[in-house]
Amino acid sequence: MKLNIDGLLVYFPYEYIYPEQYSYMLELKRTLDAKGHGVLEMPSGTGKTICLLSLIVAYQKAYPLEVTKLVYCSRTVPEIEKVVEELRKLMDYYAKQTEAKNDFLALALSSRKNLCIHPEVSALRFGKEVDGKCHSLTASYIRAQHRSNPSQPVCQFYEEFDAVGRQVPIPPGIYNLNDLKDFGRRKGWCPYFLARYAILHANIVVYSYHYLLDPKIADLVSKELAKKSVVVFDEAHNIDNVCIDSMSVNITRRTLDRCQTNVETLQNTISRIKETDAAKLQEEYRRLVEGLKEANVARETDMYLSNPVLPDDILQEAVPGSIRTAEHFVGFMKRFLEYLKARLRIHHVVQESTPQFLKDIYEKVCIDRKPLRFCAERLRSLLRTLEIADITDFSAITLISHFATLVSTYSKGFTIIIEPFEDRTPTIANPVLHFSCMDPSIAIKPVFGRFQSVIITSGTLSPLDIYPRILDFRPVTVASFTMTLARTCLCPLIVGRGNDQVAMTSKFETREDFAVIRNYGNLLLEMSAIVPDGIVAFFTSYIYMENIVASWYEQGILENIQRNKLIFIETQDAAETSMALEKYQEACENGRGAILLSVARGKVSEGIDFVHHYGRAVIMFGVPYVYTQSRILKARLEYLRDQFQIRENDFLTFDAMRHAAQCVGRAIRGKTDYGLMIFADKRYARADKRGKLPRWIQEHLTDGSLNLTIDETVQLGKQFLRQMAQPFRQEDQLGLSLLTLEQLQSEDMLQKIAQIAQQA
Amino acid sequence: MDDQGCPRCKTTKYRNPSLKLMVNVCGHTLCESCVEMLFVRGSGNCVQCNTPLRKSNFRVQLFEDPAIDKEVEIRKKVLKIYNKRELDFSTLKEYNDYLEQVEDIVFNLTNNIDVERTKQIMEQYQRDNKDIIQKNKAKLTREQEELEELLLQEQQDSEQKRLETLQEEQRQLQTKRKNKQALLDELESSRLPAAVLLAQHKDRAVQLETQIEKQKQNVKPANIFSTGIMMGQTVSFASVSRVEEVLYVYQPLCIDAYGPPVPELDQLGRLGYLNHVCTASPQDQAGGYTSGLACHRAIQDAFSGLFTL
Repeated sequence: MKLNIDGLLVYFPYEYIYPEQYSYMLELKRTLDAKGHGVLEMPSGTGKTICLLSLIVAYQKAYPLEVTKLVYCSRTVPEIEKVVEELRKLMDYYAKQTEAKNDFLALALSSRKNLCIHPEVSALRFGKEVDGKCHSLTASYIRAQHRSNPSQPVCQFYEEFDAVGRQVPIPPGIYNLNDLKDFGRRKGWCPYFLARYAILHANIVVYSYHYLLDPKIADLVSKELAKKSVVVFDEAHNIDNVCIDSMSVNITRRTLDRCQTNVETLQNTISRIKETDAAKLQEEYRRLVEGLKEANVARETDMYLSNPVLPDDILQEAVPGSIRTAEHFVGFMKRFLEYLKARLRIHHVVQESTPQFLKDIYEKVCIDRKPLRFCAERLRSLLRTLEIADITDFSAITLISHFATLVSTYSKGFTIIIEPFEDRTPTIANPVLHFSCMDPSIAIKPVFGRFQSVIITSGTLSPLDIYPRILDFRPVTVASFTMTLARTCLCPLIVGRGNDQVAMTSKFETREDFAVIRNYGNLLLEMSAIVPDGIVAFFTSYIYMENIVASWYEQGILENIQRNKLIFIETQDAAETSMALEKYQEACENGRGAILLSVARGKVSEGIDFVHHYGRAVIMFGVPYVYTQSRILKARLEYLRDQFQIRENDFLTFDAMRHAAQCVGRAIRGKTDYGLMIFADKRYARADKRGKLPRWIQEHLTDGSLNLTIDETVQLGKQFLRQMAQPFRQEDQLGLSLLTLEQLQSEDMLQKIAQIAQQA
Repeated sequence: MDDQGCPRCKTTKYRNPSLKLMVNVCGHTLCESCVEMLFVRGSGNCVQCNTPLRKSNFRVQLFEDPAIDKEVEIRKKVLKIYNKRELDFSTLKEYNDYLEQVEDIVFNLTNNIDVERTKQIMEQYQRDNKDIIQKNKAKLTREQEELEELLLQEQQDSEQKRLETLQEEQRQLQTKRKNKQALLDELESSRLPAAVLLAQHKDRAVQLETQIEKQKQNVKPANIFSTGIMMGQTVSFASVSRVEEVLYVYQPLCIDAYGPPVPELDQLGRLGYLNHVCTASPQDQAGGYTSGLACHRAIQDAFSGLFTL
């Protein structure tokens, strides 16, 4: 249908539209008009993606000078593919309606591992191996050698692309990863480099967060994106953790040992090259003396290593004299390495700030701050000069050099924690140096600064005001949308007590309590008797899950449950888990019914949808707090308190509730879907926890369902499930939660829509 | 790490965890007991390279690689002489050349290349630059100064925080004590039954608790957003409690402006006031601003007080 959104003609590829979608687009349009940033929350399963795509595409078509590009960031490869499919639907609709030739170029970008078509390289299993092998076939010096010595292998796909691919633009259309590969195969061009080249003039780019947030990758891939782009972060409820991870470094004893061998290899290579080809080192030295940037070598294939700090923070100076020659630099790295080794040899936990670290390193091994800042840059130059083909082995020294550059560049927002052993095993020495970023706004700041509109959206962003605070930006629109429903298809219940009136909670003091575990078991048992098909249960951690399941086994609860349903368990092993998932779905499919025991923050809770009969009930056992004793977390909480005035408890609760909401949200993936959401912990009834759930869940949480016992839950659940199991046709939804164009344009509907968006 | 050991007596760290390895200027290791035994007289030759050594120069080995210990030792010595700062040079390039020269000297001394000549160069340099060396002895480099400053600030901050929490705790303790004393006094002197007094006391205690809680919440907003906007308001997440009372009725404010009547806001456009006012950009309008608002206010300003009394 064709919509008129605030004066903009939007093509929407479906016959019907949800009222909240219309409202969402209105809000989005205002954000784009104002050229500002926005935070938008809308429940999962209400079609966020298509709203975003159809509105922004329409905007691009209407004002091609205002918005030149849409950068759509998602989390995983399947999600990226989903977005591209939606986009394809939209473009087909455009083609049908306007009958004009499509001149839109949209493509997905992923790592070499997902895009490589070289027969040998693409057979490798790990991403790092693929990258390393690719580099060893496409680096500029390898190709130079190939010219003089044709027996040196190179990648024919890249050669072909380099020869002709750049002149001929890729024809407009929608390309997902497989389309790119097919196209590459047809033409004999490397799809990865083709995609990287094509994003510069594509209208829509879909890729992962890291390509924009991680400075190591962003500098290579996203450097030349225009300012007039709209950036969308979908499923962004974890964006702060992504930012933090991209700037943090963990160093173990093993890293250092591997780094030691790296340094030795470097030293040997240097002395060998000095004998055979001293001119090369001379040339590099000359360049460094003159402070020349590597302008002549802006070859994309060589840009394998990049600076870990943000582009604004890279010192634009000549490399300091103390690490100019190759030997001196290797000596420098050796000293740094030995210093780190000595630091890791401690017997107690140390936490210090970056200035303290820098001072100590100057006193112990006379290393100044400035050469440290150039460490990553210098290493890159050296590896290039030495023409080391297999870069994969050098990951350890690269990591160390990143650490050196980061630690000397940022004096605030970072902390260094050295732990001699893990908390659980104090007798086994396993020293780790955590260089941890505490401020997510550091990594994301350039994104907000560079692009005119950044949209952060997800199904669970509540409380909305905390994201602008921890990411440190000023949004022009902040809005949360609820789901309009023709029937209440979600039923959140808070179970606080067992039938014996013992409070149910995963609080630390009582989590080992026999009665609590038994009550949890009874709850699951009762639910397994009344809920059809699939039940998903989430625990707060793997250890807790193991404890409880072991205890259920002893008490015979598991046996009773298995009379009703099969039980599957998520483990830390990815292959095992996907196997369990597959069997779980099979059991749901054939009517046997199954229970999946999984963990909040695990793989299942984040990426897997349980549509329809795959998840008729979700049970959240306990409140999924993070492990609060971790020193990194403590440091971060302290920082949040001092810098952003966010109290520890507020942040912890916020974090726990966003994960709880993520978990229970897995079951409802659309308006025809229905499911029970059972929060099994009495603490959920408190206002501070309940208030942090997304609005679309809170709305259905009545006072009557706040502190239930197990049999009350069973009663309510039974009733709800029976009601929901009645036939539900599309006509029932029409006019209420599903609108045709005429219905949308009626006066009172427009008024209703205006109320949907609640400005936070 | 455990396989480190003394090359002479072959003891390893694994067998004797309290083993202390020592290193001298030549960069070769010996364990503490071997040092005691071989250098009873205070001096002797290195077992491995025959360099004459003094016992007093033995240091505990800090690093796994004794060569690093040696290098750091040499480097510290060299840096004492070569202590020019960046400010002493006119260009960055010269400074970098100087740095490289220093690095060369250290490299040569550690790897025993041209030791004699290098030492000569050093002495020559020391003679030539006596004044500067003296002058720079006490001075820190700019970077170190920065670091010191940061450290100082950090210390002050944590100290202040500690004091604040301490004061806060004491204040709370005091109020609690006072409250208790008041109860005892009342029980002693008042004629009311004890149960009532106790109930009153309980109420007061609860109030006090909530007050303390509230104070804790009022963390001082000392920071601003990157955009320069003060983070004034502390945001509470609790839903607003419903107030049960008669609804407030709004009565429009009546101000005598002592001037000609100001046209209504929605008439401004029609009367042509807006013709020469710059129009609001879409950014402004997103927040609810219209150019009429500013115009209206300006006219109010201009008109007020035009009639003198």
